[in-house]
Amino acid sequence: MPRATHLNDFELMLLLATLRVDEAYGVQIAREVEQTTGRRVLMGAAYTALDRLEARGLVSSRLGEPTAERGGRAKRYFTVTPSGLEAVRQTRQALETLWTGVAQLQEKRT
Amino acid sequence: MIPNDPPRLALSLLSRWLPDDDPLTGDLVEEFAAGRSRLWFWRQTFSALGAAWERPRVGVRPLKLVDGPGRVDPDPTPPWPERSGGPLAYLPASPVNGVGGLGILAAIVLLTVVVPQIWLLVGLSLVAGAGLGAVLTARTVLRMHRHWTPDIRRVLT
Repeated sequence: MPRATHLNDFELMLLLATLRVDEAYGVQIAREVEQTTGRRVLMGAAYTALDRLEARGLVSSRLGEPTAERGGRAKRYFTVTPSGLEAVRQTRQALETLWTGVAQLQEKRT
Repeated sequence: MIPNDPPRLALSLLSRWLPDDDPLTGDLVEEFAAGRSRLWFWRQTFSALGAAWERPRVGVRPLKLVDGPGRVDPDPTPPWPERSGGPLAYLPASPVNGVGGLGILAAIVLLTVVVPQIWLLVGLSLVAGAGLGAVLTARTVLRMHRHWTPDIRRVLT
Protein backbone atom coordinates (compact mmCIF):
# COMPACT_ATOMS: atom_id res chain seq x y z
CA MET A 1 0.00 0.00 0.00
CA PRO A 2 1.51 3.35 -1.00
CA ARG A 3 2.18 5.80 1.77
CA ALA A 4 -0.65 8.30 2.16
CA THR A 5 0.00 12.01 1.63
CA HIS A 6 -1.31 13.99 4.55
CA LEU A 7 -2.80 17.43 4.00
CA ASN A 8 -3.73 19.86 6.72
CA ASP A 9 -7.08 21.60 6.53
CA PHE A 10 -5.71 24.78 4.96
CA GLU A 11 -3.76 22.87 2.32
CA LEU A 12 -6.85 20.85 1.51
CA MET A 13 -8.92 24.04 1.14
CA LEU A 14 -6.30 25.59 -1.14
CA LEU A 15 -6.14 22.51 -3.35
CA LEU A 16 -9.93 22.28 -3.61
CA ALA A 17 -10.22 26.01 -4.34
CA THR A 18 -7.55 25.67 -7.02
CA LEU A 19 -9.53 22.84 -8.58
CA ARG A 20 -12.79 24.80 -8.43
CA VAL A 21 -11.67 27.87 -10.34
CA ASP A 22 -10.28 28.23 -13.82
CA GLU A 23 -6.92 29.92 -14.23
CA ALA A 24 -6.39 29.88 -10.48
CA TYR A 25 -4.06 32.51 -9.11
CA GLY A 26 -3.58 33.91 -5.60
CA VAL A 27 -6.52 36.31 -5.46
CA GLN A 28 -9.00 33.84 -6.93
CA ILE A 29 -7.88 31.00 -4.68
CA ALA A 30 -8.13 33.20 -1.59
CA ARG A 31 -11.57 34.51 -2.61
CA GLU A 32 -12.83 30.99 -3.26
CA VAL A 33 -11.70 29.81 0.16
CA GLU A 34 -13.21 32.87 1.85
CA GLN A 35 -16.54 32.60 0.04
CA THR A 36 -17.00 28.87 0.46
CA THR A 37 -15.70 28.44 4.00
CA GLY A 38 -16.01 31.89 5.57
CA ARG A 39 -12.41 31.61 6.65
CA ARG A 40 -10.35 34.79 6.34
CA VAL A 41 -7.29 34.16 4.21
CA LEU A 42 -3.97 35.92 4.62
CA MET A 43 -2.24 36.00 1.27
CA GLY A 44 1.18 35.47 2.79
CA ALA A 45 0.00 32.31 4.51
CA ALA A 46 -1.67 31.12 1.32
CA TYR A 47 1.52 31.59 -0.72
CA THR A 48 3.61 29.88 1.93
CA ALA A 49 1.28 26.88 1.87
CA LEU A 50 1.17 26.85 -1.93
CA ASP A 51 4.98 26.97 -2.06
CA ARG A 52 5.05 24.03 0.31
CA LEU A 53 2.58 22.13 -1.84
CA GLU A 54 4.62 22.89 -4.93
CA ALA A 55 7.78 21.65 -3.24
CA ARG A 56 5.92 18.41 -2.50
CA GLY A 57 4.85 18.14 -6.15
CA LEU A 58 1.14 18.56 -5.40
CA VAL A 59 0.73 21.78 -7.39
CA SER A 60 2.66 23.40 -10.18
CA SER A 61 2.79 27.09 -11.01
CA ARG A 62 3.63 29.35 -13.90
CA LEU A 63 3.96 33.12 -14.22
CA GLY A 64 1.56 35.06 -16.44
CA GLU A 65 2.06 38.40 -18.11
CA PRO A 66 2.43 41.54 -15.98
CA THR A 67 -0.73 43.67 -15.93
CA ALA A 68 -1.25 47.35 -15.23
CA GLU A 69 -3.98 46.80 -12.63
CA ARG A 70 -1.41 44.93 -10.54
CA GLY A 71 1.23 47.65 -10.84
CA GLY A 72 3.09 45.78 -13.56
CA ARG A 73 3.31 42.57 -11.58
CA ALA A 74 2.63 39.15 -13.01
CA LYS A 75 0.05 36.64 -11.83
CA ARG A 76 1.20 33.25 -10.65
CA TYR A 77 -1.16 30.56 -11.89
CA PHE A 78 -1.45 27.33 -9.96
CA THR A 79 -2.47 23.90 -11.24
CA VAL A 80 -3.11 20.80 -9.17
CA THR A 81 -0.89 17.96 -10.34
CA PRO A 82 -2.01 14.30 -10.54
CA SER A 83 -0.17 13.75 -7.24
CA GLY A 84 -2.16 16.61 -5.76
CA LEU A 85 -5.43 15.09 -6.94
CA GLU A 86 -4.44 11.80 -5.39
CA ALA A 87 -3.58 13.55 -2.13
CA VAL A 88 -7.03 15.19 -2.05
CA ARG A 89 -8.70 11.83 -2.67
CA GLN A 90 -6.66 10.16 0.07
CA THR A 91 -7.47 12.94 2.52
CA ARG A 92 -11.18 12.70 1.74
CA GLN A 93 -11.10 8.95 2.17
CA ALA A 94 -9.30 9.27 5.49
CA LEU A 95 -11.79 11.88 6.74
CA GLU A 96 -14.78 9.80 5.67
CA THR A 97 -13.32 6.76 7.39
CA LEU A 98 -12.90 8.80 10.54
CA TRP A 99 -16.42 10.17 10.15
CA THR A 100 -18.20 6.86 9.97
CA GLY A 101 -19.10 5.19 13.19
CA VAL A 102 -18.96 8.33 15.32
CA ALA A 103 -22.24 8.21 17.21
CA GLN A 104 -22.26 11.87 18.23
CA LEU A 105 -21.97 13.04 14.64
CA GLN A 106 -24.70 10.73 13.43
CA GLU A 107 -27.08 12.03 16.11
CA LYS A 108 -26.53 15.60 14.99
CA ARG A 109 -27.19 14.68 11.38
CA THR A 110 -30.63 13.22 12.09
CA MET B 1 -0.73 60.78 -1.16
CA ILE B 2 -3.46 59.54 -3.44
CA PRO B 3 -6.21 57.80 -1.39
CA ASN B 4 -6.77 55.17 -4.09
CA ASP B 5 -3.15 54.08 -4.09
CA PRO B 6 -1.99 51.33 -1.77
CA PRO B 7 0.07 52.56 1.21
CA ARG B 8 3.44 53.51 -0.23
CA LEU B 9 5.41 52.44 2.82
CA ALA B 10 3.77 49.03 2.75
CA LEU B 11 4.70 48.67 -0.92
CA SER B 12 8.25 49.73 -0.12
CA LEU B 13 8.51 47.11 2.60
CA LEU B 14 7.12 44.46 0.29
CA SER B 15 9.51 45.38 -2.52
CA ARG B 16 12.40 45.29 -0.08
CA TRP B 17 11.63 41.97 1.55
CA LEU B 18 9.95 40.22 -1.33
CA PRO B 19 11.17 40.13 -4.90
CA ASP B 20 9.97 43.10 -6.97
CA ASP B 21 7.91 41.00 -9.29
CA ASP B 22 6.47 38.81 -6.60
CA PRO B 23 2.92 37.87 -7.59
CA LEU B 24 1.91 38.18 -3.94
CA THR B 25 2.41 41.94 -4.04
CA GLY B 26 0.48 42.04 -7.29
CA ASP B 27 -2.38 40.15 -5.67
CA LEU B 28 -2.50 42.63 -2.80
CA VAL B 29 -2.48 45.59 -5.21
CA GLU B 30 -5.27 43.99 -7.26
CA GLU B 31 -7.41 43.32 -4.20
CA PHE B 32 -6.85 46.85 -2.91
CA ALA B 33 -7.94 48.24 -6.27
CA ALA B 34 -11.05 46.06 -5.99
CA GLY B 35 -12.08 47.90 -2.82
CA ARG B 36 -10.16 46.50 0.12
CA SER B 37 -9.25 48.94 2.89
CA ARG B 38 -5.86 50.32 3.79
CA LEU B 39 -6.08 48.43 7.09
CA TRP B 40 -6.60 45.22 5.12
CA PHE B 41 -3.56 46.05 3.00
CA TRP B 42 -1.38 46.65 6.05
CA ARG B 43 -2.60 43.48 7.74
CA GLN B 44 -1.81 41.46 4.61
CA THR B 45 1.57 43.18 4.31
CA PHE B 46 2.61 42.28 7.84
CA SER B 47 1.38 38.75 7.30
CA ALA B 48 3.30 38.47 4.03
CA LEU B 49 6.45 39.85 5.62
CA GLY B 50 6.10 37.39 8.48
CA ALA B 51 5.52 34.53 6.08
CA ALA B 52 8.47 35.68 3.99
CA TRP B 53 10.81 34.35 6.67
CA GLU B 54 9.78 30.87 5.63
CA ARG B 55 9.88 31.48 1.90
CA PRO B 56 12.97 31.41 -0.32
CA ARG B 57 14.20 34.87 -1.26
CA VAL B 58 16.59 36.15 -3.89
CA GLY B 59 18.24 38.85 -1.79
CA VAL B 60 17.82 42.13 0.06
CA ARG B 61 16.98 45.20 -1.97
CA PRO B 62 17.43 48.84 -1.00
CA LEU B 63 14.35 50.46 0.50
CA LYS B 64 12.59 52.44 -2.22
CA LEU B 65 10.36 55.20 -0.87
CA VAL B 66 9.95 57.13 -4.09
CA ASP B 67 9.13 55.92 -7.55
CA GLY B 68 12.16 55.84 -9.75
CA PRO B 69 12.37 55.23 -13.47
CA GLY B 70 10.71 52.02 -14.55
CA ARG B 71 12.59 48.87 -15.18
CA VAL B 72 14.52 49.38 -18.39
CA ASP B 73 16.71 46.38 -18.77
CA PRO B 74 16.01 43.38 -16.59
CA ASP B 75 19.40 42.14 -15.55
CA PRO B 76 19.59 38.40 -14.95
CA THR B 77 22.48 38.87 -12.52
CA PRO B 78 21.34 41.11 -9.63
CA PRO B 79 23.85 43.69 -8.43
CA TRP B 80 23.19 42.84 -4.79
CA PRO B 81 24.88 39.80 -3.31
CA GLU B 82 22.94 36.60 -2.92
CA ARG B 83 22.56 35.85 0.76
CA SER B 84 21.75 32.72 2.58
CA GLY B 85 21.67 31.63 6.16
CA GLY B 86 18.13 32.25 7.31
CA PRO B 87 16.26 35.30 8.60
CA LEU B 88 19.01 36.49 10.92
CA ALA B 89 21.31 37.04 7.93
CA TYR B 90 19.02 39.90 6.86
CA LEU B 91 18.95 41.76 10.15
CA PRO B 92 22.12 43.81 9.53
CA ALA B 93 20.56 45.21 6.35
CA SER B 94 21.00 48.96 6.51
CA PRO B 95 18.08 51.37 6.15
CA VAL B 96 20.53 54.27 5.78
CA ASN B 97 23.87 54.17 4.01
CA GLY B 98 26.65 53.75 6.52
CA VAL B 99 24.38 52.97 9.47
CA GLY B 100 23.77 49.38 10.40
CA GLY B 101 20.15 48.33 10.76
CA LEU B 102 21.08 45.90 13.50
CA GLY B 103 22.88 48.68 15.37
CA ILE B 104 19.87 50.98 15.19
CA LEU B 105 17.56 48.20 16.34
CA ALA B 106 19.85 47.29 19.22
CA ALA B 107 20.20 50.93 20.26
CA ILE B 108 16.42 51.46 20.29
CA VAL B 109 15.79 48.30 22.31
CA LEU B 110 18.64 49.05 24.72
CA LEU B 111 17.54 52.63 25.30
CA THR B 112 13.91 51.62 25.80
CA VAL B 113 14.84 48.95 28.32
CA VAL B 114 17.56 50.77 30.23
CA VAL B 115 16.38 54.39 30.16
CA PRO B 116 12.82 54.66 28.90
CA GLN B 117 12.83 58.33 29.99
CA ILE B 118 15.12 58.97 27.03
CA TRP B 119 12.08 59.13 24.77
CA LEU B 120 10.64 61.97 26.87
CA LEU B 121 13.95 63.76 26.44
CA VAL B 122 13.90 63.07 22.70
CA GLY B 123 10.36 64.42 22.45
CA LEU B 124 11.19 67.55 24.44
CA SER B 125 14.29 68.07 22.30
CA LEU B 126 12.22 67.88 19.14
CA VAL B 127 9.70 70.41 20.50
CA ALA B 128 12.48 72.70 21.72
CA GLY B 129 14.27 72.42 18.38
CA ALA B 130 11.12 73.25 16.47
CA GLY B 131 10.46 76.23 18.78
CA LEU B 132 14.01 77.52 18.44
CA GLY B 133 13.80 77.15 14.68
CA ALA B 134 10.57 79.16 14.60
CA VAL B 135 12.08 81.93 16.76
CA LEU B 136 15.22 82.18 14.63
CA THR B 137 13.21 82.22 11.44
CA ALA B 138 10.95 84.97 12.76
CA ARG B 139 13.96 86.98 13.91
CA THR B 140 15.61 86.68 10.50
CA VAL B 141 12.44 87.73 8.73
CA LEU B 142 12.05 90.75 11.02
CA ARG B 143 15.65 91.80 10.43
CA MET B 144 15.22 91.50 6.71
CA HIS B 145 11.99 93.47 6.97
CA ARG B 146 13.87 96.29 8.70
CA HIS B 147 16.26 96.61 5.78
CA TRP B 148 13.68 96.52 3.09
CA THR B 149 13.74 99.55 0.88
CA PRO B 150 10.45 101.22 -0.11
CA ASP B 151 10.79 99.61 -3.56
CA ILE B 152 11.03 96.12 -2.06
CA ARG B 153 8.09 96.83 0.24
CA ARG B 154 6.04 97.94 -2.70
CA VAL B 155 6.82 94.76 -4.61
CA LEU B 156 6.31 92.39 -1.71
CA THR B 157 3.26 93.93 -0.04
